[in-house]
Amino acid sequence: MGYTFTLRTIYPYLGTLWQAAGLTLALSLLAIVISIVLGAGIAILRRSHSRLLRFIGAAYVEVMRNTPLLVILYIVYFAGPSIGIRLSSFNAALIGLSLNSAGYMAEILRAGLIAVAPGQFEAAHAQGLTALQTFRYVVFPQVFRTIYAPLGNQVIAVILASSLASAIAVDEVASWMETVGSTSFRFFETFVVAAIVYLVLCQAVNLGRLGIGRMLFRQGAVAR
Amino acid sequence: MNPVLQLDSIVKRFGSRTILDTVSMTVNAGEIVCFVGPSGTGKSTLLRCVNGLEQIQGGQISFEGTAVLPRSIGAVRKRVGMIFQHFNLYPHLTALQNVMLAPMVVHKEAKKTVEERARALFEKVRLSHRINAYPSQLSGGEQQRVAIARALCAQPHLLMFDEPTSALDPETVGDVLGVMRDLAKEGRTMLVVTHEIRFAADVGTRMVFMDQGKIVEDGDPRAMIAAPKTERARQFLSSIHG
Amino acid sequence: MTVDWLAYAPLILRAAGITLWLSWLGMLVGAVGGTGIALLRLSRWRILRLLALVYTEFWRSVPILIVMFFCYFGVPLVLGIDISPFTAATVALALHASSTMSEVVRAGIQSVGRGQWEAAQAAGLTPIQTMRYVIAPQAIRVVLPPSVGVFITTLKESSLASIIGYIELTKTGLLIRDSTDGGFIPLLALAVIYFLINYAISLGGGALERRFHIGRRLDTVGAMA
Ligand SMILES: Nc1ncnc2c1ncn2[C@@H]1O[C@H](COP(=O)(O)OP(=O)(O)OP(=O)(O)O)[C@@H](O)[C@H]1O
Ligand SMILES: [Mg+2]
Repeated sequence: MGYTFTLRTIYPYLGTLWQAAGLTLALSLLAIVISIVLGAGIAILRRSHSRLLRFIGAAYVEVMRNTPLLVILYIVYFAGPSIGIRLSSFNAALIGLSLNSAGYMAEILRAGLIAVAPGQFEAAHAQGLTALQTFRYVVFPQVFRTIYAPLGNQVIAVILASSLASAIAVDEVASWMETVGSTSFRFFETFVVAAIVYLVLCQAVNLGRLGIGRMLFRQGAVAR
Repeated sequence: MNPVLQLDSIVKRFGSRTILDTVSMTVNAGEIVCFVGPSGTGKSTLLRCVNGLEQIQGGQISFEGTAVLPRSIGAVRKRVGMIFQHFNLYPHLTALQNVMLAPMVVHKEAKKTVEERARALFEKVRLSHRINAYPSQLSGGEQQRVAIARALCAQPHLLMFDEPTSALDPETVGDVLGVMRDLAKEGRTMLVVTHEIRFAADVGTRMVFMDQGKIVEDGDPRAMIAAPKTERARQFLSSIHG
Repeated sequence: MTVDWLAYAPLILRAAGITLWLSWLGMLVGAVGGTGIALLRLSRWRILRLLALVYTEFWRSVPILIVMFFCYFGVPLVLGIDISPFTAATVALALHASSTMSEVVRAGIQSVGRGQWEAAQAAGLTPIQTMRYVIAPQAIRVVLPPSVGVFITTLKESSLASIIGYIELTKTGLLIRDSTDGGFIPLLALAVIYFLINYAISLGGGALERRFHIGRRLDTVGAMA
């Protein structure tokens, strides 16, 4: 026993905490953006006329949902050198995280597209809207409304999942906790601090989501 | 005579099934053509071919003198308004925004001009008080009247109605038919797929009876209802008369 | 250098068994704890409801990896006891699963209408009897299918135990990789094995879902691991 919780003991390490938090944020934000783009591609594949393309889309989603992210990260990290590409830890983590998140994004976007009634496309076409205009004025606003909440959940999931990057030597927040903890033997304090960083990030997403949602979706504008 | 729409032996197939079998007809300006016939005979498909929601496999459609082809479809759609059985209003837009979207986006008209016209149209369909409501807050009859205003706001030369009252509660059918009667009085050219025989008799200038992808009878509504020339039309009309 | 990969099959198979056992244990403890939290969430006392809410929100906003680090490295320092990687991993998995399961169980209980409670009370059943004989049998239909999703998530999360040195499936794959040519074949094999296990479980879950006509896999969103 005899362990006293004293935050002061880890003050010297707070400088590196900011860098670590910056990496966590950069990794998560980039992975979210990339996985939305990839996910949109896969969601479109899953609506394709070709059976083969539909199968590829569905298989991608199943593989990503059923394989641990850690294993995917190791594959990306270690496969690079085997085939002659050297990836930095950060890039490997970004690729692995994006590929994995894309599987979930694809499902979210697909559900959003399904929620747009076929009659919406017909009405827009009948009014002479071009394909691009139909997407911009009719389809996208409706998809956005459906995916808004699950998208927020996925953003949080990516932030939490980015902690696994520590396993391939990215110096983000989880890695900070482990390194500082094992040099200072103050694991309780480092845990509390790291947990607070993640809590703040996740709750910021939650609050932002509520605020933006209130602003964007006026009452009554719900899809049937 | 002044033809607005000409169908020249058009053929429409879904896979190997022929849905429209060499259908020909000419619609002149000011005509109100009511299409009747059993379910699945291709009435909706006929309308959908006119504005290119379906592609035809044979024959030719021309609208105001120009052939309806994939490359000219944009120009045709600008001048043809369509009203659907299930309204298909945009759920994320208010009634007013629904009506204003296409004139602003497709016809590139100034917002002020469009809004003035839209407000006048809401007056006409007797919905001025619901202008800022979302579709989910409107009854079926109200939604359909917004849909009519939406079609009118693009100043179409031809209006197509596909069973506009079939999805409505009986007590709101009258409101929609009332608006359609007003439009008829203005001398608009209209194609109306309907099971409302009373409406066809009162308002229609012409009635087309279709069966199995063909036009079986085409003539004056009252005459056809009183004395159908063919056995199939007689059976159908007596079945929906009750 | 050629490696006789098949020679490693028994090792891998045993490791897969260990992973399943670890995940199952974490899930089981998590489900029991989650049920307790769900009851607190539905309690009459506001303070208990609030505590339960903070509990679920906390574990859902903190990565399981740092929880595992804390259980393994931190708890022995704080309490002065030895903790094995297995215990640390199980506790971390259970904590995380309990917060998700509390939501699942709460949804299950709430899916049973008020009328059922009232009818049971009117018939003279105690609250516990009501739970046991009336609510639980109905709620289970709603709870079971998404629990499959939680189990899959837990199974994927169990791979993190390798980071604190517990030799389960992932760690075994890494060790095989070290003792062979260091290529990524063992890693691909890992991915395939995890996929097969989880896919089989999710097919089973799908069958459950069809059978009960209700519920949804919970790991569709917000549960990457
Ligand atoms: N996209 C499609 N693919 C295949 N078949 C179709 C498609 N759309 C319509 N059909 C078929 O074409 C036939 C004609 O359909 P249509 O909707 O034009 O009939 P209708 O006369 O409008 O009938 P109703 O009175 O029931 O509306 C039907 O047998 C229908 O099953
Ligand atoms: Mg029809």
